[in-house]
Order: sequence, then structure tokens, then C-alpha cells
Amino acid sequence: MAASDDDALQVLSGDDQDDGAYSSDFEEEEADSGEEEADLDEEEGDFDDEDEEDEDSDEEDGAADGNVEANDSANHEEIREALLDYIGNGNAGADGDEESDDREAADESDSSEDEAPPRNTVGEIPLEFYKDEEHIGYDRAGRKLKKQARKDQLDSFLDRSDDPKDWHKVYDEYNDEYVELTKEEMGMISRIRQGKLPHAEVDAYQPYVDWFDWDGKGHPLSNAPEPKRRFIPSKWEAKKVVKLVRALRKGWIKLDKPKEKPRFYLMWGDDLKVNEKTANGLAYIPAPKAKLPGHEESYNPPVEYIPSEEEINSYQLMYEEDRPKFIPKKFDSLRHVPAYAEFIKEIFERCLDLYLCPRTRKKRLNIDPDSLLPKLPKPKDLQPYPTTCFLEYKGHTGAVSSISADPTGEWLLSGSRDGTVRVWEVQTGRCKKVWDMGGSVFCVAWNPNPALPVVAIAVSNDVVLLDPEVGDEEVQLNIAKLLAVQPSTSEPTENTPLIGWKRHDKLRGIQLSHQQNVVRVSWHNKGDYFVSVSPDDILFTFIYLFSFFSVELNASKRNNRAVLVHQLSKQQSQNPFRKHHGRVADVLFHPARPFMFVATKMHVRVYNLAKQELSKKLITGLQEISSMALHSGGDNLILGSKGAKLCWFDMDLSVKPYKTIKNHKEDINAVAFHKSYPLFASCSDDLSTHVFHGMVYSDLMQNPLIVPLKILHGHQKGVSDIKFHPTQPWLFTAGADSVIKLFCN
Amino acid sequence: MDAGERQVQVRFTTRLGSDLRVEATAFSLPVHLNRYGLSQIINTLLALDSPRPFDFLFDGELIRTTLEQLYLSKNLSAESILVLEYILAVGPPELQSSQPEKDWVSAVNGVNPSLILSGSYDSFARAWFPDGTCGSVLKGHSDAITSIAVAGSSNDTDLDVITSSKDKTLRLWKVPLKPSSSTLSSVRIFKGHAASVQCVAASPSNTQVCSGSWDSTIKLWKIDSEDEDNEDEQALKKRKLDGAKQSIAQVTAFTTHKEHTQCVAALEWPEDRYIFSASWDHSFRQWDVETSINTLTMTCSKALHCLSVGGEGSSLVATGGADPVLRIWDTRMPGTVVPVLQLTSHTSWISACKWHRQSPKHLLTSSYDGTVKMWDIRSKVPLQTVEAHKDKVLCADWWREDTVVTGGADCEFKLFKYTPIEWL
Repeated sequence: MAASDDDALQVLSGDDQDDGAYSSDFEEEEADSGEEEADLDEEEGDFDDEDEEDEDSDEEDGAADGNVEANDSANHEEIREALLDYIGNGNAGADGDEESDDREAADESDSSEDEAPPRNTVGEIPLEFYKDEEHIGYDRAGRKLKKQARKDQLDSFLDRSDDPKDWHKVYDEYNDEYVELTKEEMGMISRIRQGKLPHAEVDAYQPYVDWFDWDGKGHPLSNAPEPKRRFIPSKWEAKKVVKLVRALRKGWIKLDKPKEKPRFYLMWGDDLKVNEKTANGLAYIPAPKAKLPGHEESYNPPVEYIPSEEEINSYQLMYEEDRPKFIPKKFDSLRHVPAYAEFIKEIFERCLDLYLCPRTRKKRLNIDPDSLLPKLPKPKDLQPYPTTCFLEYKGHTGAVSSISADPTGEWLLSGSRDGTVRVWEVQTGRCKKVWDMGGSVFCVAWNPNPALPVVAIAVSNDVVLLDPEVGDEEVQLNIAKLLAVQPSTSEPTENTPLIGWKRHDKLRGIQLSHQQNVVRVSWHNKGDYFVSVSPDDILFTFIYLFSFFSVELNASKRNNRAVLVHQLSKQQSQNPFRKHHGRVADVLFHPARPFMFVATKMHVRVYNLAKQELSKKLITGLQEISSMALHSGGDNLILGSKGAKLCWFDMDLSVKPYKTIKNHKEDINAVAFHKSYPLFASCSDDLSTHVFHGMVYSDLMQNPLIVPLKILHGHQKGVSDIKFHPTQPWLFTAGADSVIKLFCN
Repeated sequence: MDAGERQVQVRFTTRLGSDLRVEATAFSLPVHLNRYGLSQIINTLLALDSPRPFDFLFDGELIRTTLEQLYLSKNLSAESILVLEYILAVGPPELQSSQPEKDWVSAVNGVNPSLILSGSYDSFARAWFPDGTCGSVLKGHSDAITSIAVAGSSNDTDLDVITSSKDKTLRLWKVPLKPSSSTLSSVRIFKGHAASVQCVAASPSNTQVCSGSWDSTIKLWKIDSEDEDNEDEQALKKRKLDGAKQSIAQVTAFTTHKEHTQCVAALEWPEDRYIFSASWDHSFRQWDVETSINTLTMTCSKALHCLSVGGEGSSLVATGGADPVLRIWDTRMPGTVVPVLQLTSHTSWISACKWHRQSPKHLLTSSYDGTVKMWDIRSKVPLQTVEAHKDKVLCADWWREDTVVTGGADCEFKLFKYTPIEWL
């Protein structure tokens, strides 16, 4: 707009060069306002011209800003003159009398065909205000009009008699003069007197012209002729439009204005909209509306709603909650309807229903729970695995602490807290042999070499090697030779042997006396080496406190000797470790390679026995390792812990657990792998044994598959040890309730 | 019996003698009748002095439901005439004698009708006479007896008995048939197994013996002492080794089958040509004796403990094992993987199963649940169940035709007699 204003300025100043800058500025302003009128006129004129719509109006608006002068200079000239005229008048407002006279004349000339204005200018006031004055008022120039001398009655009579036309004259009190009536005026007066219209030319009774054509249009609402305004474009409308257009141009009106939020709104208005989202994104559930009364609640219900006597009686037989809440009744009039007896109760119950009822819908993830579970094969497809207990081996009188199966699967060895070790026939549950060891048995282990049926038993401080007498003659001879204590041929030099291999006092076997309780014995797969674990006891740590100097030496020794490796054929013992990091819980040999797994409280260290170095340290993250079992391949290890957690290590994968399973409720006592079937199990103090499918693939890229299969119950006290049958998918469980159970597929 | 009940037309046939025959007209009987009701009707029709129980066969199956359920299960039209064959039912067995032994009774044999042999965990085998007296005690083994086989007799006075034991040997005994209490020592000893011998079977011609062991082999031995010299030579060698303690002849196996991978738990030698063996490796096999070839292998899903060959034409093999199901296989269909019959009624392992020696339909099983059951393969439900022992029943066998001998872990040796004798 500003640019176009400037343009307009240019055009204007270019057109009249003799005018000064000031005047031109002024002109522009004036032109603006004046042009608007002109513009309006033009608009008015062009209003019904529908062809030139917006562009036209644009042009015209441009004209309003002074663009149009160029093409119509004559029009322009006229406007200018008129303007100059106006300015001149405004400036000369207080100038001399001549000009005012001129103007008077101009005014008079301007005036319409009506008679000349009255001389006096006082207006319509009571004339007695001037009664006592010398003048009767003021003329237009403000000069006093002098009262004329009144003629007395005589003079006036004389005048009247002299002048024959005197009766034509009328005294104008306001102007204080006599006005002589003209002939037409006289005629008018006489016509009025006669009761006629004052103007003779007016025909009061013109013939009626019907503007409405009646052909098939019925009766019109009004017979009034169509007014003129109906046929011409409305000036005011046009003005309004221009105003609106202008407002739009200036940006005062915005069409896409955002809706204003109503200041007041219906608080409960959206009660019935169920799924409307609130600001929290929670779907709001409205309180259910009370049921509206129907026909049966009427005071005068239709007959079909009123139950008969029998029906009412039959309600008594129904359960209270099935009975109808309301029995319709008929009353003569509404006045006789009593107050609703249940009202308070029902309202109260409704309040109770609504009280604390969940009024918002819970946000729920729409995920199929099955899709979150890993795709595991069904246990049914992973048969065989132990499921049912068919056989029990009864005979121990104390808790069975450890069991071990013979490699052929014919015999089972068990050691108990009652101080006995028993050999059982697996098939029938018959006890073949009982050895009284004279102390609590911690661990038993049957030699995994089928050609060398020897058992190792950990009893208090000793490891005892015994012959279960199950081999044939040659084997028995062999064993007899092995178990005969060799007299130490070469007298040891300065270092005395770690452990003395002695003949057992009562039984036919070898006794290896340790300095502390032996808790674990485990054989190497070839059956020549075995390892015993005798970790530090709490009792000894207690002694340290009192006499730490002398005992500390012992203590360090003891700690050294926690793990001892024994060789059966040479009857030698050696201590492979100088130091242990923590209390040793379990030790195992790798089934094929020269590795040894030492489980301390929180870590498992894998030692390479050939190179005599630490090859791996497994970080378990367990509280306290209680047991350990190796897969027959030797690359997978499971650990049971006191924190009821089970860890599976894939040693090719990582030193961290491949899977940690928290399946038991209490401490895991033992874990076991099956030799040939892909099965492993864990047993716990919570009386249960869990059986898993643990498939190890020969393909290195494929991770082991672990599927929980079965939870075996049956023991009355905690399950202390489990072993799989070497050939069948059966599981032996030993309980603290002194029973050994065999679970079969 | 209310009048509104439905009736069906039943006609009775039988193969029994003429004194137990009813006329072959159709009777209309109420549908709620079961075996007992039908048996009562037959009894009234025959007007027998003492009522006899009958069993009813329809389409080769024993009726164990009401007639209505039979109609429904067989999809029969209610208007058709039901033809029922009736046979004498087996009554509940009576305990004939119960003999306490010193230890668990692990093996019984009732092949010979004049005496019963039992083996025990106290390493002795005993011969019992029908009057319940213990005849000979067979002393010689050093460990539990696992199985006993009878290999006929070379003369009328004594019987050749072979016992297998957990001491890895088998022994041959000459048990006198006349009632006499004596302590016998073995005639021959069969050595060669590396582990406990679990089972033994003699050939029908009584010339050879086969044994199965925990060393997963089957060994075949010759009984007769034709090659006395050879045997003597070997025996001499052994004697030298053993320090010449034993004066009995030693026998070594002439054939060994090593195909089984686990303990051979049961053997049967139904004909001279072939042997059946069952093993813990879940399979049972058939061996041709002459060529020593494994001619048939069938695999089960459980470890097998016992096996018996019988049925029509000795073609059905019953096996029991480490589960309570008795499976019956048909060797005429070697391609089949599934048993033709699975009989489930026991609640624990089956320790022994024996076909009746004459009847092709009757079968005996004993189980660790303490019961002994008799089965008719025409019915899925056992005919009779006896709570035979308080503990595990370890062995069972037929004796004569109608008697069952059982031994159990309660150290008892029992005889049960089924009555009447005509049920076959």
C-alpha cells in the first residue's frame, strides 16, 4: 500500500507541477478521502455490473489511491476545482461582508424552489420575549431588526379603506411585516375553505393502475407496489462490502482465525462419550447411569405388568439375588403412592458401587503373550526324560548325602549321614552291600572306568577306596592288587608325602587321611586319577583368632591343600595348587583333555594341567557355587548355587553364563548332566528336582538349546544329590529323608 | 427292571459241552445287563445246581460293559440280533501255598509239572514239590540267582536245571524228581560272562543253553558232554588257575552275540531254530541259532526286562520293561514300529510276563506294584488281579496248567490256583 501511495504521489505531483510540495501532499490526503467518496459513487454506479468482479474492484481501489486520474483528466479537474473551492471557503470563513453576501446569494441560489427564508433568525421562540425590545430579532448578518412603528387603528382603517387590496395583506408577526397574498395563495385558501386539496393540479382520485399481474399467482401478501430500492443496488450494502474488503486488505479481519475456547463449558457434558481421550491419554469410563423408570414403575401400570398372586409367591422360592427388585403395584391416584422404601438403600448401594470403582481404563499393551515367549519345542517332543518314580531304594537311616551310579548302570552307590555306604541293584532296588564307614559320608564316587570298579568315599577326614566286588575274576584280581597298600619303596627325601596311603582299619581298602573334612571326591574319566576337596572349615578360622601365629602357618598349608590329586595306580598324591582364591566348592576333571575345573565361592577356574597354567576364569555372578557338572563334551558346564540359581556356561562362547535360570525356591544342592541323552537336572532343598533338556550342537554356530521339561516331586525332605543313569534316561534322586528314588521315562 | 426299558435281541452260542449248551433262540434282554447279568441268565437257562460264572465274547472280544454300551461302541443297529458266545469264566485264584524263603525270591520255573524251582538272593536255588515241601537245595553260586531254566532230563530220575547268577556264572544241576530233601552241588559250571548273568534259556531239544548278561552279550553253551575231552582240557586249565579247588566240569560258550548294547535282560528259546532276546537297550531281537544272525530287531521306547513268546503260532511277543505297560508285538509284521496291543493296568514296572503254555490267549504278568495279573488278549482289562506279595513281585511262571508260581521281595514263594480247570 505504501508503495502504491508513493506512486500515486508521483502521478499527482507530475500532473500539476505549478503546485508546491505541501499542497500536493495535502491534496493527496484529501484525494484519498475524496476519492473514497468518488470511489463509492463509482461502486454504486457499477454495482450491478457483475462482470468486473475482483479485478475491477482492485482497479477501483487503485483509483481510490489516485491512480485513475491519468485516464480521466476532466473528472480530475472538476474534483480539483471543487476541492479548491472548499479550501477557499474554509479559509475565508471570517472574511468581509461582501463575500458573505455572495455566499448568501449562493446559498439562496442553492436553495430549492421553496420561498425565501424568513428575515428573522431567532427561531421558534415565544415572541413575547421581544415584546419590550425595540427589535424583533436578528437577521442573518446578526444585525438587529428594528420594530416598525405600529399604526394605530385609525390609520390602519384608513389604509384599509384607501387600499382596495388591503384585505389581501396578512401581518407576519414573526418578521414584523405585512405579507401580501398572491392570487394563487388566495385560491389555495379558498380551496381549503371549501374542503378541497390546496393545489388545484393534484388529482386525488386518479385512476388505479395495478402493478401486480394476477395470472396464476394467487393472492399477494401485500398489494404494495415493489419499492424502488428493490431495483437498485443497495448503497449501504456496497459500503459495507467496501469496508469489509478494506478490513481484509489491511489484515483486520482474519478468516482462518483459531476457534476460541469457550470460557464456560458444561462440566459433565461429555459423560456419555466413552472413548474420548483425556489429556492423560486415558480413556475415561463414565459412571453408569441409573436405569430410568419404565411402565412397571408407573403408579398405575398396565395390567400385564402387575404380577399375579402366584407369581409373587413363586418369588419367595427364588434365591434372593434372583428375585425381582421391584414388584409393580396399582394405586388409585398418584397421591396414594407411598415414599419408595428402598430409596436410601438403593442410593447407598449405588454409591458403594461407584466408590473406588476403576473409572479409568488401564493402559494395556496389545501384545500376544505367546509371542514374547521363546519358541521352544514342546516337552512332549523331547522325550525321553524322567517323569515317574517307580522304584525306591530304602535302607539308609540318615539323610543320603551323595549317590553315584556304576558306569554300566547295574549298580548304584550311595553314602549317607548315618555313616554307611550302600551298593544297590538298580533294577530291583536290592541292597547288595553295606559298608559301615564309622563317620558321616560326604561324597561317594564310582570309578567311571568300567574295567576298574572301585569306589571312592569321602568320610569325615578320609578318602576311602573300596572294592564293590562286581567285576569278574580278572578284574577282582586287578583291584586286589591296586588296593593293596604298597610299602613305600623309595624312602622320600626331605619332603614327606602329602597324604599317607594306608590300609583301612576295618574294610578291605585304602584310606587316605586328610587333615580336614573331605567334601568332594571326583574321578578322572580314565579312572586312574581322582581328586579330593577338603576346603577350610569355619572351625579353623575360629582357631586363627586365638593363636594366629602358630596356626597361621598351618592355615596357609591347609588352604594350600584344599585340592589334592591322587593317582590310584602309583598310589601317589600331589598338590597341584599353591594357593586358592576362596573356599573350594567343587573340582572336576575334563572328560577328555587335561583340564581341571575348580569352583570356588564365586568363580570357576579352568586349569590346564599339561601346561600347568590357568587357562580360563569363569565369572558366574552367583552368590555361592554349590555344585558343578560337566557336559560329556567338556565344553558346557552347569553350576548350581546357594542362591537357587542355575548357570549354564558355554565355554566356547564366553566366560560369562550363557543362561542363568532361577528355577528353584531354595538352595540348589546338586546338578547333573546325562552322559548320552541331552538332559540335565538340578535338585534343591525345596524338595523338587527340575529336569531340563539341554541340547549341545556340534555346530559351533548354534547355541545350546535349553528347555525345561519336568519338575519331579516326591521327597519329604530336601533333595541332596542327583545322578543320571549312565545309559537310560532315568534319574536317581537322593533325599535327606533317607530315600533314594529312581525316576523313569 | 422297569417295563419302559429297552430290550435287545440276544442269541447265545457256545463251544462248550452239551451239558452247558442253551437253545439257539433269540432272547430279548434289557440293555442294562452286563457280564454278570448275562451269566445269571445262562445259569437260569441251564438250571445248574451250583452257579458257574461265564464270560461272553462278541466278535472275538470279551464283554466288559453293559449291552447298551456295547451297542453304542460297536455302532450296532438296535434291531439286529446280538450273537454272543459264552465260555467259562476264570474264577479268582486261590492261594494254594505260601512258602517263606530266606531272601528275596528272584526266579521261579514251573516248566516241569512234577516240581517247581525257585532261585533266591541268598544264592541258593530250591526245588519244591507239589505238596509244598522243599526238596533239593542247589548250593554253589556265590551270589543271587537271577534265572532258572529246565533243560529236560536225560533219564527219568532227575532233571537238568541250569541257573544263572549274579556271580557271572551259570550252573547245571541234576535235580532228582523224587521227593527227597538233599543239598545238591552243580554238575557243570558255565563261565565266560564278564558281568552278572541276567537270564538263561534252554533250547527245546535240551541240548543247548543261552544266557544273557550285563556285559550285553548273549552266549550259547552246549549242555551235553559229548566233547568231554575238550571240556576237560579247558577245565584243567581253569583248575590250574583256580588252584584246583573245584572238581566240577567247566563249560565255555561256543557262540557269543554282541549286538545288544546294554544288559540282556530276558531270553526265550521257543524253537530250536531261533532265540528271542530282550535288552535294556530298548530292543528285542530274534537270532538264528545256526547262522548266528540277528534276523529281527524291534525297538521299543523303554528298557525291556522280560519277554515271552506265545500266542497263535508263537508269533506274538509280549514284552514288559521299565514302565507299567505290557506290549505285545507281532513278529509276522517286522516293519511295524508300534506294538499290536498295549495293556495298561499295572502301576509299576513289569517284572515278568509269561504266555500260558497251552492257551494262545492267556498271559500272566507280575509287577513291582505287588500284583500278578492274568490277561486275556481278547480284552483290554485283566481277567484277574491278585495282590500276590506285599513288596515287589520279582518273578512269576505258570505251573502245570492252572497254577501260577510267584516270588517276591517279601521273601515269599507262592502258588495260586485258578479254578475251574475248564477255562481254557
